[in-house]
Amino acid sequence: MTYKIDPRCLKRVALAGAAVLSLAATSTLAQPRGLPPGAPPGGPDGPGLGQLLPPSGPELTDAQKLAASLPPPQPGAGGDRGPVPPGVELPSSDPRNIEGTWFHNQPLEFRIQKDMLGRALPYTMEGAKVLERRVVSLHAGKPYSNASAICRPPGQQWQHDLNMPFQIFQSKDWIEIVFMEYHGRWKIVLNPAASPKPATKEYMGYSVGRWDGDTLVVETTDFKQGMWLDVDGTPISRDAKMIHRIRKVDYGERRPYLEVQTTVIDPKYYTHAWSVVRSWGWNPDAALFREYNCEEQVGDPSGGPDAGLIPEPTD
Amino acid sequence: MLNIKSALGAGALACVLMCAAATSAMAEANFEGVWKIATPTGALKPVSGAVPFTAAGRKAYSENVKLRAQKKFDDYDIHTSRCSSPGVPRLALTPMRFKIWQRQKVVTFDFEFNRYLRQIDMRGVPVEEQLVPTMTGQSLGKWEGDTLVATTTNVSENTLIDDLVPHTSDMKVTERWRLVDPNTLENRLTIEDPAYFTKPWTSVVTYKRQPDALFPEDVCMDRLEHQKNLVPS
Repeated sequence: MTYKIDPRCLKRVALAGAAVLSLAATSTLAQPRGLPPGAPPGGPDGPGLGQLLPPSGPELTDAQKLAASLPPPQPGAGGDRGPVPPGVELPSSDPRNIEGTWFHNQPLEFRIQKDMLGRALPYTMEGAKVLERRVVSLHAGKPYSNASAICRPPGQQWQHDLNMPFQIFQSKDWIEIVFMEYHGRWKIVLNPAASPKPATKEYMGYSVGRWDGDTLVVETTDFKQGMWLDVDGTPISRDAKMIHRIRKVDYGERRPYLEVQTTVIDPKYYTHAWSVVRSWGWNPDAALFREYNCEEQVGDPSGGPDAGLIPEPTD
Repeated sequence: MLNIKSALGAGALACVLMCAAATSAMAEANFEGVWKIATPTGALKPVSGAVPFTAAGRKAYSENVKLRAQKKFDDYDIHTSRCSSPGVPRLALTPMRFKIWQRQKVVTFDFEFNRYLRQIDMRGVPVEEQLVPTMTGQSLGKWEGDTLVATTTNVSENTLIDDLVPHTSDMKVTERWRLVDPNTLENRLTIEDPAYFTKPWTSVVTYKRQPDALFPEDVCMDRLEHQKNLVPS
């Protein structure tokens, strides 16, 4: 049998590798400013607003200055798809039922530069240097490899922050988020007794969720390895903790959306916790996914084992 | 001509229509849950006789047998050599568990093995033909009573029907999924591909319901990288 390379697949690999090969873009304005409605004041689930504020004033640290000195990302595409057309089903009216298909309603963001309060990310010098080497390698045309480039699960933030739809399936004991790309699965355990922490660490970590009012609060730890939070390589280490606060918002204008506030707690790369907030619009028409099969191309001997990417140093 | 309205009366007709609608709504079976093949196998065996190869089909099959003996997997089976999706219909033989979701007019098969996905479009609306074949092709489904009938076309030639049997991109796979009992799911597959088979041939694969569970994160490429067996023990 002679294998034929499917031109559409090549195109899609190029797109996936976008990440990798640095496609395009970032919008520094993509992050909504201010706390999202319903953001918790803090407590046992993680830092509240007060704790998120940097300990110092607006003066940038040396690490922040290093991050700010890097070439800026390009603006991302995508955005609001408008109201749900008449006749198209709407999500459940139950605020604790977040099932269905969701799709970005904001531009893609290729590098997170500001937190949701508009402040520079609180890099440690070690974190800033990791970002620096990734951005510099990208601009030098010799980008580092990352999980998505070698068909490994790329992590929650990368996964749901690309312009690809995802579906949520929900049961009493867990919630599963199935992404169109990367064979992505985010398993959120609601009843740890029914699904205890696995014996070996997984790329997507171990996520435990609980309802706080109508907000699903998910805490994820135990990552198998550090991850790129975005295409340009904003880092988190394997010892990081991520807290996602997910809630369904519907003001009755046929524009229901999921609001996801992500808090990163990672002392290795950040001096204190920081948060971003993004949203995804209801899009049942996207329930039929396009096929994603990165292994076909990544494993192609004619393309080389690393697809031209450079293995990144291990920190 | 029989005048139903006068024969049954308007009230009776309304009842007939309502009952028909109720029957239709009831007809769609619920396959949701976790399933696993009842008898793991790497060969999709016809229900009777042998696979009816044409000369070209037999030649391609024999070549695959030879390549397997030489362990030249990448020359005929990129699922084994690269972890590429086995595609349709070979995914039906997956040795690990899979979930079925029936939501938003799409039937989604969520496989434990490498987190593969496969979907059947149940919307019943006209769709544009795929421009390029893919591993899982284009699957359009409908209900015939309690049986889900899915027709799949546009499957890439870079997949196999099972561990060895080849096909062309003109293959058409018709699957008839039905519950034999609440814990047994049957998939009756008919393969048509005139270039490789002299006539359509049918095989039956059954699955047993498994306890509901979250699947461990399965990464085929990790096994490949560490030279482990493709199928985890």
